[in-house]
Amino acid sequence: MEILMPAVQRSKTKVYWHLAADILSQAINGEIAGMSNFALLTATIDDVHEKMECVEHANCERNHAEGFMQIAKKFNLPVVINPNAHYWKKVKEVFARWAERKDFIACIIIQEVVLECFAVSMYKDVGMALADNEVGQLFLEISKEEEEHIEHSIDLLKAELKKDYTGFIEKVEKVHDDCMKIMAEWTVTRNCDDSCGVCDGDCMKTRLYAADLDIKTLRGNAMNLYMKTLDRIGIPGIKSLEWVTNLPI
Amino acid sequence: MGNQSSNIEFALIGHQDCWKNITRFVDFLSDGKRNLTAEQVAEVYSFIPPRMVFDVEVRSVTGQVAKGCYIETFIAPDELGMRYWKKNVIKVKEAAECARKMHAGIAGLGGFTSIVLEGKDNSLNETSSTKFTTGNSLTAAFIVKNIEKACSHFNKDLRDLQLLIIGATGDIGSACVQYFSGKVKKFLLCARQQVTLDALTKSLHDRRIGAEASTDIRKLLPEADIVIAITSSTIENFDPLLCKKDIIICDAGYPKNLVFDLKGAFSERLFCGGMGQIKGGYSFTPQIHHEFYDFPVQNAGHGCMQEAIVLALEKNYQPYSTGKGNITPEKIECIYELARKHGITEAPLFNSLGMWS
Repeated sequence: MEILMPAVQRSKTKVYWHLAADILSQAINGEIAGMSNFALLTATIDDVHEKMECVEHANCERNHAEGFMQIAKKFNLPVVINPNAHYWKKVKEVFARWAERKDFIACIIIQEVVLECFAVSMYKDVGMALADNEVGQLFLEISKEEEEHIEHSIDLLKAELKKDYTGFIEKVEKVHDDCMKIMAEWTVTRNCDDSCGVCDGDCMKTRLYAADLDIKTLRGNAMNLYMKTLDRIGIPGIKSLEWVTNLPI
Repeated sequence: MGNQSSNIEFALIGHQDCWKNITRFVDFLSDGKRNLTAEQVAEVYSFIPPRMVFDVEVRSVTGQVAKGCYIETFIAPDELGMRYWKKNVIKVKEAAECARKMHAGIAGLGGFTSIVLEGKDNSLNETSSTKFTTGNSLTAAFIVKNIEKACSHFNKDLRDLQLLIIGATGDIGSACVQYFSGKVKKFLLCARQQVTLDALTKSLHDRRIGAEASTDIRKLLPEADIVIAITSSTIENFDPLLCKKDIIICDAGYPKNLVFDLKGAFSERLFCGGMGQIKGGYSFTPQIHHEFYDFPVQNAGHGCMQEAIVLALEKNYQPYSTGKGNITPEKIECIYELARKHGITEAPLFNSLGMWS
């Protein structure tokens, strides 16, 4: 991979910038998946207010994707945008199944709890690791914005739990089984055997060391935030513990 | 913190001392379908936020029943060192928040988690209707009572014996020093910090109590007739070959301080200290008793946890043990008597090989 580096970037290693490019690629694909998910939901649901909310969410994810693309361009970092990327495609398929059932709440759980917890936590960890340059700063900024999405969804989902305690917990468990398993597979500690369709060359997990990152911590922190978010919604702690300990390791 | 609001009398906050227990617990959660290795479990374990994992019901011999819960901090057994201090303090505080949300009257901080209350910061108790206790007073009570029991088991008179306390300047260690002052022939004091060790030795000398101190266990071990090991980590340089043949050892650390082959000379010379037994019995819901508590003595448990239970049975929701160096012999006797009233006493002498005969 040939990367043309401005003077400010020369202090970092080639592996570091290769990693930064891969991380940006994953983030862009993730944001585009989010944008597509909400766009799809907009077309399937009937409630006007929910429709409007979906458009707003889709636009927000689009802005994040654009932000990442711009910073990649500024730093001459080649990114891979692949609509058929293995894990992100699976996430979109899961979302599409719930959207088809016009289940707005399940879709919100997928997007605003499962995916946003990963985004907030991983963007924060990556942002801190790359904090001495604009790439890192952008990750930190977007992490904060995504955090607001989680906050917003917690109130909505708390109200749903109140309406139907057992039914809601069952739904969260189904969504967890559907979507969190994909995220857990994506972040297992071993390198991905086949290309995920996003990393440039081999699995980016092999390069995380270049920014003092490791997949165990990235994944662990994301799971921690996910469980804390479920706690705040009111899911019994023993339930989410059971779910998380049964995820692929 | 992932728990429904409820009103319970006590909460027990703790951590596991070995990966074997943790793996069994994770197996329990997956109905035994996964068979994960300790290495696999370790990939996620310490990232799990503290949460209530089971209900506890304790029965007093008076007929009273106290209801509580166990809150696991998910502090990993190999992350108890200084390197993880900040992370662990955050976890204990999150677990404390969990106890508060459940409106527990009293919460006991088991094992390593008591660090949060042993410092100068008592904010945990200042702003909370749930009160927190380290449980160190009842732990100390069970240690000293079992030392006395072990001495009579071997027909030994404490006044003729030299007592080595490893971790002498800690909260429980200094409580043991206070309790045995004037009761043993001489103290042998060991701790990591020379300055605090010197201060403790001087205070004993001022009271004309014989004491010798060193930061090096090996210097004191050959002289010891009894040993109480009560540090926060494994003692690496405890050489069994330096011990007297008729030594009595109380390992009261959590995780265990002394790691050596018990078979042979020490099989009936070493006992697990600070352990209590609840005569009226206790139960966990769900029933994960054996994944957590695996002792050769029925209804056994740690004194630090049982202190919170005793206070709950007494409806005395006060932070009985806080700070460091505040445990007097009077406090030890007081909590011991309250515990006895409810059928909670020092456990029969046992170690990992089984009960002493």
